[in-house]
Amino acid sequence: MLQAESLSKTFGPRMAVDHVSFDVRAGEIFALVGPNGAGKTTTLRMLAGLIRPSSGAVRFHGSVGFLTEAPGLWDRLTVRQNLKVHARLHGLPRPDRAVDAAMELFGVADRAADPAAVLSKGLRQRVALARTLLHDPGAVLLDEPTSGLDPESARDVRDLIVRLRDERRAVLISTHNLDEVDRLADRVALLNTRLVALDTPQSLRARAFGARVRVRLTGPAEAHAHTLGAAGLTDIRADGHTLSIGIDGGASRTPEIVRRLVDAGAGIEAVEPEEPSLEQVYLRLLNGPPEGGPYVRGES
Amino acid sequence: MSWSRVTALLGKELTDLRGRPGIFFPGLFTGGVAILLPVFVAILVPAFTGERLADSADLRLAVEFYRQQPGARALAPEAAIQASLFQQFLVLLVLSPVAAAMSIAAYSVIGEKQARTLEPLLATPLTTFELLLAKTLGAFLPALALSFVCFAVDLAVAGLFAEPGVAWALVAPRPLGVLFLMGPMASLTALSLAVCVSARVNDARSAQQLAALVVLPITALLIAQIAGGFVVTIPIILLITGGLALVNVALLRLGVSLFDRETILTRWK
Repeated sequence: MLQAESLSKTFGPRMAVDHVSFDVRAGEIFALVGPNGAGKTTTLRMLAGLIRPSSGAVRFHGSVGFLTEAPGLWDRLTVRQNLKVHARLHGLPRPDRAVDAAMELFGVADRAADPAAVLSKGLRQRVALARTLLHDPGAVLLDEPTSGLDPESARDVRDLIVRLRDERRAVLISTHNLDEVDRLADRVALLNTRLVALDTPQSLRARAFGARVRVRLTGPAEAHAHTLGAAGLTDIRADGHTLSIGIDGGASRTPEIVRRLVDAGAGIEAVEPEEPSLEQVYLRLLNGPPEGGPYVRGES
Repeated sequence: MSWSRVTALLGKELTDLRGRPGIFFPGLFTGGVAILLPVFVAILVPAFTGERLADSADLRLAVEFYRQQPGARALAPEAAIQASLFQQFLVLLVLSPVAAAMSIAAYSVIGEKQARTLEPLLATPLTTFELLLAKTLGAFLPALALSFVCFAVDLAVAGLFAEPGVAWALVAPRPLGVLFLMGPMASLTALSLAVCVSARVNDARSAQQLAALVVLPITALLIAQIAGGFVVTIPIILLITGGLALVNVALLRLGVSLFDRETILTRWK
């Protein structure tokens, strides 16, 4: 397990990271999100040992692989040469064998003799990922791993990230792509110099917006809002043929809502849980942090 | 320190340089000038004017002085003057590797930062000392090879066009000491300085300009020698070489203390 214990970093008078604590477990994808300048890259650099924290500590037994924001390949060197230099820098006993295995694993073996300069962005990112994993690290830090990639390349990289989780590595990704976070992350930390929130995407949704159910009716919804109001439900929004209902008691109240609507003569087309996008959750949590400090759950 | 890591990065530096042959142009140019100037002064001008150097009263002093060196007494007057002139310009040959390697060294750290390859490099177990040593050697070894090539060409030119015995006079201890002891050490000093500056400033041109200042003492030495005010003898060569070796060790240590990973990663753009 990779642990950040009350990490802080100041650059002169500016506080870049303020007492941030979290852990990344083996076999977990942990996403670090936040606005530009929130301290994500600084946190990653502290976790990778590139810069020293002003206070706090990083705890991890094993090696860490760090994929930097830019692939950082030497353009005049071939793919194989790029990887071999890093394999030797990591002191691998059989660098050629490790490079061959990494190129095979990341699907770049057929480009081994090509200079890095001629590779597409997606391929460069694959090679950079291969380089990050050459020394078989237990924890992997990925800074904007799909930034600037076309959808197909981004999907390939996401598949590779999932593979890392399946291999029981602790995976931390820093990204602005909230759709990606939604697809990949087991837990999300929202950082804005300080830790604003940390939980599973689902729990963060519930935290930011509460649990809601959406009911699509065959007719206008407005009339039936009163029916539900009379049943004690207070958070009801009607929009055209759709009712959006806040359910504090959780999903267990959904059958009761359906029954009351049917009893009131409503024609029901569909009933589904209402899920705000992670972007909505992000903006709400960022602009209105919960009182009493960060919302953190699920940390051991 | 791990030599394996140093050689890994050094190998990368040399491979990278193979793709940038143009970077050696300043060194080749300086080396070419150092080879051609004595040919022009000692062989071509007398050939075109029809006057032998030995007939010039101004150069008789040079002959007398030159013949004091061991192994030079047997040379004919014309050959002695030619050998003297070829030796004078050998100091200029010392500048060629410095010129060749200066831009390599000046870009060493900044170049990695600008190419955004420094951060992945620093994420490996490579230490600052190993990084700077590999960078310095990466600039020094090609420069040394260049100076050897230039000297070989210089010998060949002297053997082909100068009086008999001139080429042999160039492989005497004094010129060899200048080229293979003082020259490489001066080159290493310049490059260590350039790497130090490269680790501190975020602009390669600044690094190059500051480090190029080391050329000034060598140029002063050349001028003093040509003017007859100073003669580079073997004890002086050994003294300068030893002094420069100490300076080089100090510069490498200075480079390590100046290399601020945090500033380089977070503030250089």
